[in-house]
Amino acid sequence: MKHYTILFFLLFNFNLIELKSQDKIPNLYVKTIDGKPIRTISTINSEGLTIYSFWATWCIPCIVELNAIHEVYDQWTEETNVKLIAVALDDNRTKRRVKPFVSGKGWKFEILLDENQDFQRALNIENPPYTIVTDGIKILQKRNGYKPGEENDLFEFILKNSKQND
Amino acid sequence: MKNIFYLLLFNIFLSNSIYAQVFNNLNASFQSNSNYYLDDKKTGDFNYDNRFRSNNYLNFKSTIFDKIDFEIQIESYLPAAVINYSPNLKRTNVSTFNFKYNTDKLNITLGNFYEQFGSGIILRTWEDKNLGINNSIRGGRIRYFINDIINVTALFGNQKKGFKYSKGYLMGIDSEFDLSSSLNNSNTLIIGISYLGRNDGTPTTNLYGYKDLTNLFSSRIDFSSTNFYSNFEIVSKSKDAIVQFGDVSTTFIKNGSSLLFNSGYIKNGLGIDFTFRRIENMSLFSERRAFGNIYFESVVNYLPALTKQHDYSLTNIYVYQSQPNISFQDPKMMKSGEIGFQFDLFYFLEKNAFLGGKYGTNVSINASIWNNLKGDYDYYEEYVNTNLFGFGEKYFYEFSIEIRKKWSKKFESIFLFLDQYYNKKYIEEKYGEIKSSVFVLDNTYKINNKKSLRFELQHLNSKDDNKNWAAIGLEYNFNYALSLYVMDTYNYGNPIKEDKMHYYNTGISYNKGNSRYSLNYGRQRGGYFCYGGICRYVPDSTGFSIAVTKSLF
Repeated sequence: MKHYTILFFLLFNFNLIELKSQDKIPNLYVKTIDGKPIRTISTINSEGLTIYSFWATWCIPCIVELNAIHEVYDQWTEETNVKLIAVALDDNRTKRRVKPFVSGKGWKFEILLDENQDFQRALNIENPPYTIVTDGIKILQKRNGYKPGEENDLFEFILKNSKQND
Repeated sequence: MKNIFYLLLFNIFLSNSIYAQVFNNLNASFQSNSNYYLDDKKTGDFNYDNRFRSNNYLNFKSTIFDKIDFEIQIESYLPAAVINYSPNLKRTNVSTFNFKYNTDKLNITLGNFYEQFGSGIILRTWEDKNLGINNSIRGGRIRYFINDIINVTALFGNQKKGFKYSKGYLMGIDSEFDLSSSLNNSNTLIIGISYLGRNDGTPTTNLYGYKDLTNLFSSRIDFSSTNFYSNFEIVSKSKDAIVQFGDVSTTFIKNGSSLLFNSGYIKNGLGIDFTFRRIENMSLFSERRAFGNIYFESVVNYLPALTKQHDYSLTNIYVYQSQPNISFQDPKMMKSGEIGFQFDLFYFLEKNAFLGGKYGTNVSINASIWNNLKGDYDYYEEYVNTNLFGFGEKYFYEFSIEIRKKWSKKFESIFLFLDQYYNKKYIEEKYGEIKSSVFVLDNTYKINNKKSLRFELQHLNSKDDNKNWAAIGLEYNFNYALSLYVMDTYNYGNPIKEDKMHYYNTGISYNKGNSRYSLNYGRQRGGYFCYGGICRYVPDSTGFSIAVTKSLF
């Protein structure tokens, strides 16, 4: 029972603190699709908002989501200058499939490899699909999961928070 | 009571203003997975002590004085860990913590860390809560970017095992050279060299022909251009004792090796990939005696099966597990590793083109074949000498084709066909061989902008083992947050009447922002439960499960 009480107090304690919560993209090294180390913050879009979409070649809802966005991506970028970065969580079992997979789908997104899930862990992401919208390094929104059609809701949020192109 | 008092005191002292000055960029998240197990007439009574079991993880991250990142994870297994988790995970304790100092050129970590050298064949430490894996190293790590070309990582520490740490130590160094700039075009060329040393912590005598310290070396080269890529890795492991039937042998001593070659061709709408791998006696644990433990404790390196990772229940009944070890079970069943390859093709049939339809069609094909290493084996002499490219007994074969087709704005389908051979005798060291084929049809219908329905049909056809299976699943999404599913997997072809089992499951989940809540009820099929590249054997179970993921702030 003692342990429960401690846990409870710790949780309670955290809830009381009204502090600046994590609102920034963690700065760490991931890899480009060609295997070069790259800092997460250097991938940020300077022209508009950035969407980080965490996915994997074995995650069906992730693929459904990215396929749906792929179909309307030209329109999204034209209207808002948004950039989507698809962060592949594939580990060494499936990471070799990422490149041909993306190419076979014809996706135009920038791809990052988070092979040992450092980026995922830094953001406390349990499972993909998981989407983060940032303005610069500032996190505006986090979304857990994906349901068919949800890309429309995501785009509404992007529209609302972007300086729209004329 | 004393503890509570301290906590209150802690609370008062660290008032918000102090917190704000010291800590920045705070992040705390909570994750909990609990089960309540029930007796089941079909799968049997629940024979353990606690029916209610719960795994809880509290993770706290922060930046101190704007310079140092701090992280701590507290885990609580109360009243006990969920079944199939390591017995070393009990009660509440600090699981991991670390301090990180980061600049553009230099990263220093003290405490627990996760690391992977190259493709992980000599070292990978990672966390997977779904399987209860956390083999992080506690110690120190430095990564230094000398210039745009060279970066070096060095590490030292003890490996985590439950809430404890291994007696022995690991030390390693990895250096990477980016030679792309010497190519004078947009191509990439990266070379990597790594070393890992493992000391098991139990002194051995030199009489046995192996040393306290086991050394592993790896070199790799990675090339990619616009349409073509290729990489190659070669690994060697120094002589070490073979562990069989839980005993560290004093007579059977052998070195290990691994070869990996991968290459592919890509252009818009097409991707082709080929991988060849050969591994011989490559398992490594921070303590020799931990060899083969089902909880993946003390695992130092990552040797996943290179097969397609499947998403459907019936495609996950006969799952290949990689065979990196020497295992002499009897004079007729001896293995020393695996050799084989995997091929992938991804193709997009354009809109309005042949078979492309109004929206285009995605096709992917996968094939893989894995065999024992061919060579001279002698059971009584404990001797094996393998051929470099010889294929021995077949372990596994698989061919699959997957087609994704969007019929209209509202309706899309996935069709999957799979043909498999699974050598249970060699893979699981049991008996039998299984040939099977699986069909899957997965349909999604968008009712309106927010509501959608997913409907899934599966069938497994086999004359072997438990014979035929069928599965049906239905998922209804009320909106982006709330969804409900029901699923039944039925082994209708089982020749034993009592084993014609229905594995029914139903559940509801709610997602909002970065929080997730789910409740499930049902019967879990025993067998290999896989997550990522790792599989673990679990028995049948029945009951309720509840999962919560929540960001506290």
